[in-house]
Amino acid sequence: MATPNQVDEKRESFEREALVHLDALYRVALRLTNNAADADDLVQETMLKAYRAWDQYEKGTNAKGWLLTILRHAFINEYRRRTRHPENVDLDTIEPFAVFGEIQDDDPQGAFFDKIVDDEVLREIDKLPEAFRETLVLSDVEGMSYQEIAKILEIPVGTVKSRLFRARKVLQARLYGYAVSQGYIKGTPA
Amino acid sequence: MNCRECVEHLYEFLDREATPELERDIRQHLEECPPCGEQFDFEAIYLKFLRARCRTQGAPEELKRRVLRELFGE
Repeated sequence: MATPNQVDEKRESFEREALVHLDALYRVALRLTNNAADADDLVQETMLKAYRAWDQYEKGTNAKGWLLTILRHAFINEYRRRTRHPENVDLDTIEPFAVFGEIQDDDPQGAFFDKIVDDEVLREIDKLPEAFRETLVLSDVEGMSYQEIAKILEIPVGTVKSRLFRARKVLQARLYGYAVSQGYIKGTPA
Repeated sequence: MNCRECVEHLYEFLDREATPELERDIRQHLEECPPCGEQFDFEAIYLKFLRARCRTQGAPEELKRRVLRELFGE
């Protein structure tokens, strides 16, 4: 039985190292579930699991990575099963469209990006195949290193590199297509 | 290093994930090849744009309260 003092210490270290990542966990959960209510539940469950397992976490190491690993397992085991199924997408058949080749004469600095708002970017991210989406979110939204992403997703660093490359290119092509459709830039939609 | 190889590694370079040797080869190529330089600049702008658009959202206050309540009974 833990003494009151130990309980206080546990709580204090959990608040300092884990609860500070609540925003990050929520952002990732939202992109994985595509649904605010499920994201709430997933984050809640992640925090409960993390608190129970807090003794197993080596303090002062990478709490964000540790928490995201718990979150992803909870998502795969519980949410994905009942909410959305992983798409059967052959990632190798997704051919990136070369946006720079299209815009280099008229808009080499990508000024059209400025006109695309947050919601539209997030909507396009949500349409990416799950394997691309989770890699891109951990990198571009959460700023994790390739090594950290590889650990969380349990894939080799080389796979992180190739997925991230293609995820960014596909997203870029779709955002470009959106910009063309909205008349933000002249061109041929991807 | 040719243009194709250079562009293949552009995100590793921009993410600061390239090995020192690769980084050196890319820098050297970019100095000699303005079109690749322009493409790298464009991609750097794209990544900055993505970060700016995607990092603003945080957890709702109600969720924060709910987590504290569940964990510590508050």
